[in-house]
This record gives sequence, structure tokens and C-alpha cells, in this order.
Amino acid sequence: MPARNHTQWKANPGLEPGEWVDSRVYSDQTIFENEVDQIFKRVWVPLCHESELPKPYDFRTASIGGEPIIITRGPDNEVRAFLNVCPHRGMLIERRPSGSFLEGQPSGNPKRITCMFHAWQFDMKGNCVYVAREKEGYQDRLCKEDAGLRRLRCEVKFGGFVWVNLDDNPKIGLEEWAGEPFQCLRENIDAEPLEVFHYHKAIIDTNYKLWHDTNSEFYHDFMHYHNRVTGFNDAYFARKNFAFKNGHVVVGTFEVNYENYEGFESRGELSFPHLPPNQWYMVDLFPGFNFNLRGSALRCDIVTPLGPDKVMIEFRGLGLKRDTPEERQTRINHHNSIWGPFGRNLHEDLIGVAGQGTTMRPGTEPRNILHGRHENQTIHDEIGMRHYYDEWGRWMNRLPNNPDQPWQERNKEDAVAVAE
Amino acid sequence: MHKNGADAASVVRDTIYRATMALDDQKWEDWLGLCEPEFHYAITAFSPEINKDMIYLQGGRKDMETLVRLLPKHNTDHSPLRRHTSVYTVDVDDDAKSATAVSSFVIYQNMLDGVNSHIDSGESRLFLVGKYHDTFKLENGKAKFVKREVRIDNRRLDKGSHWPI
Repeated sequence: MPARNHTQWKANPGLEPGEWVDSRVYSDQTIFENEVDQIFKRVWVPLCHESELPKPYDFRTASIGGEPIIITRGPDNEVRAFLNVCPHRGMLIERRPSGSFLEGQPSGNPKRITCMFHAWQFDMKGNCVYVAREKEGYQDRLCKEDAGLRRLRCEVKFGGFVWVNLDDNPKIGLEEWAGEPFQCLRENIDAEPLEVFHYHKAIIDTNYKLWHDTNSEFYHDFMHYHNRVTGFNDAYFARKNFAFKNGHVVVGTFEVNYENYEGFESRGELSFPHLPPNQWYMVDLFPGFNFNLRGSALRCDIVTPLGPDKVMIEFRGLGLKRDTPEERQTRINHHNSIWGPFGRNLHEDLIGVAGQGTTMRPGTEPRNILHGRHENQTIHDEIGMRHYYDEWGRWMNRLPNNPDQPWQERNKEDAVAVAE
Repeated sequence: MHKNGADAASVVRDTIYRATMALDDQKWEDWLGLCEPEFHYAITAFSPEINKDMIYLQGGRKDMETLVRLLPKHNTDHSPLRRHTSVYTVDVDDDAKSATAVSSFVIYQNMLDGVNSHIDSGESRLFLVGKYHDTFKLENGKAKFVKREVRIDNRRLDKGSHWPI
């Protein structure tokens, strides 16, 4: 077909519902605000890894949907999460990304979470233990027992990640939410403690779902030299995608032949526990979290949407806590040669989604984004995205290919089959 | 300092600045020509977020040769990088056979692609801040890199880069 005129360009692409989305889902300010309220403030979000706060009184800060959060490890070794907001006058309590409360701060005592502004202090369970000049100011009208922090649902699970839910009464528990897709990795990542060895972040002018889409499809292999030149073989193309309830997808394993990749070495010797040599599993969790175990290193991507056209992506690499220095070094090399900020693939992936973000700025003309490849659920099938947007439609009560219209379940024969 | 220390320090400075220009101009072979066969390269950073020293990229001379040889086969951001290097210290060993140096650098990205080249091209944006920690072999009046650690302050790296820093 020759280049199309405007009417042709805007027309229904001739695919089935569910096989394309309207680009407004990536660019509309109202849709973005709805996503924050209706999805991100109600789902389980992996905020960090327990190894980032290894000792009692360690803390880590993060945010979900703009709400600042502090995660602490108490003297009882329990990891807890609170809103990082002082109940007095709304000051951000802890400003650093991480640290320890073992030492006192200028306004407060050791072993206390202290708001620097007026020296209110809290223990590791979020109890308010000190209000400066309490009786003088509040007499008996308000006391510290009434001024605890806002506690949040928090669990350490699936390889030691710290999961937080802003909703006190989430639709479902964490195990029911993500247990089934994680089943393929559980004996690998829960066999022994893991440890984060890599962290960096990217802030990209694009929609968060476009990053998750990239993690959900391997058709973009053509962007990467090693993938397109030496990575394609029958076993690779047979690798399957499996859809799970709640919008999650697992990309099944196959054996990677690293000897075909110039400059790479086998990862067999340092495979994660119970993982056959050089195997590769990937879990894509709705609405934007990715766990990617490629033999010797686990990668985790966590998105924090900042606007319809802006996302922060945090990248972590993990190995086994018991690694020798030599083993750790090898894992780091395996991780970063492909996935590091100066590695071969990540740069290209980020250029890809930045380019999509350029064409889908707020105010740009809506257009059709195709998710219609069917290849028997194998590696270049776009089933992952179709399954994701069905779940997105339910949470948002919007049709992904016409977001002004309410969600309608697709016919069973057209819907993505969920793994049992 | 060795009686020839001042001269040796000057040679070290000259090599660091030549390396800066070769890297700016993407003359990778010229850059590797300033490096010994046992050269080791690493980009490192400390993350207060996870409280760890990290290595973002590392390799020996052969690894770097492979890396630069494959660059044309990769898709990459076309915006050139421009390094502003200032040599802070040069310490020449007493035997004048080796030296170490610490240099500060600021790297700007002169936008070509950007987010939208129509808007962004021509603008220079701050890309990286850090220090080079270099080790040299001194021989025949020349200084050659034995080791370079590029210690960057950034952990926010956005699109990153395929290029040696």
C-alpha cells in the first residue's frame, strides 16, 4: 500500500479489538491521573530489596504515586513501611535515599525517626515517642499516642523484595496477586538470600507503559546486534509467553548459547540455585515491574510514572548474598555487559521508548499502536501486551483502543488465555 | 620527586589531554594507542541508594577493542560527548617508571538526536560528572595508560551510552 492520506492513517487498522490501542493511553493527562489513583495507589509495588536495609535501624525512602514512603528495619528485624510525612505539619521526615537511624540527627535522638522541623520523634514501628513541649502546647487535647505515622501494607517476598501497597484494604493479597507468575522463579530466588549489587535510574520522556511494553515483547530483537545476528535460532523462537491472571506475563526459558555471542562467556557456573545452566526466565508484572533472571544475574526494573510523558525507571542487579568477591565480579560483568547503563542492549531499549515518547506527546494526534502479532504465543507474539491492556482496561474502565468508552470484556475466544 | 619528575608529570598531563581529545572525536584507535596491552578500564560509581560501590562497565584492552569495533553495529544516540578534563594531581614514582594521576571531568552531550532533534539539536546538556583515576607506565619519554577508572557521580544515567567515557 502506498503512503496513506489522513483518513486512511486514522482508520481502524483492520485487526481485532485488543490487537491495537489508541495512543491517548500513552499521552493523555487525565488518563495518567486516573492511572495513578486507580492503579498505582492500589497495587503491590516492589519499592526496594531487603539487602538495601540490611541492619536494624537502616532505612530506605521511595514513593508511589507521588506519596513519599519510608521503609525501616526495626530492632526486631521486621521491615515496615510508613508514609514519609510528619503528622504535625506535613514535613517530609527523612530526606535521604537511605541511611541508618542508629546515630542521632541534629534535631533528634539515636534510634528515632526524627522530623527535623519541630523534633517530633518516632520509633521503628511508627509510634510517636516524642512531641516537643507536648503538654505546654497541647495540654491534654492531643498527645503523642495519637500522633503515630501512617503505616502501610508491607511484605518482604519473592526473592527478598520489599512490596508496599498504599491501599489498607487491597483487592487481593500479595501472594494471590503475583504468586503464580513467580512460581517459575521461586526455587531460584527464594533458595537463599539475594543481594543488590547494581543500581541506576533513568528518567525518560515517555509513558511508563511503553517501557513495560518493551519488556513484554521480544520482537524488538532487531534493534540489538547480538540478538539479531547471533541470537536467533529454533530454540529461541520456540520460547513461549504465558499469560497469568491480574495482567502478568511470564516469558518461558530456553538455553542461551553464549559462545555464539562475541565477547560473552557462559553463565553456567554461576547459575542461580536450581536453575539449569544458561537458562533465562522473565516475569512481567502488571502494571510495570520486570524480573529477569538470565542465568547468573537477576535484573529488576521498577517504573515510577511521573506524567503521561515521563517515567522514572529504576534498574537493579542482584546476585547471591554469599558470593565470593570473584563470583560477584563475574555476575556484575554478566549483568552490565548487556543491561548496564554502558552495556549493549539497555541504551538501545531506552532510545526506542524515548522515540515512542517523542511521537506521543500530550496533544499529539491520537493514532493506532499495534499489538497484533500472533505466533502461537512464541517469542515474537505480542500476547504479553494484549493481556496487559485487557487488565488495564478493567482497572481503568476504559477500552484501550477507544479510551473514551467503558471497558468491555472480549469474547472468550478472542481474549488471551490465562495459564492454569 | 625524581629529578625528572616535572618532565614526567608534563608527559602524563599531555597523555590525559590527548586521550580526552581522541575520545571526544571518537577516534577510538587513537585512544587505545595511548594504552598499554595490559590496560584495564572501568566505569565505577558509589550508590548511596544501595550503599554499594558499583562497577557499571569494565574490561581489559582486548575487551575494549571488541567494544569499539562493534560500535558501528549498534544503534546508538548520535549526540557527541564533549569532555572538559582538568588534571588535578600527578604523582610520579621515584624510579620514574610509573605514575598516577587524578583528573576531574565534566562531560556535556551536544544534542543531535535529543528527544526531538527538531527542538533539541544544537543544545549542550550536562551528561556526566566525575573523576579519572589513571595509572601510567613511563618509558622512552612517553606515558601510556595501564589503568583508567572513570569514577562517576551520576546514578541517574537516562539513556546511558555505548561509548567509552
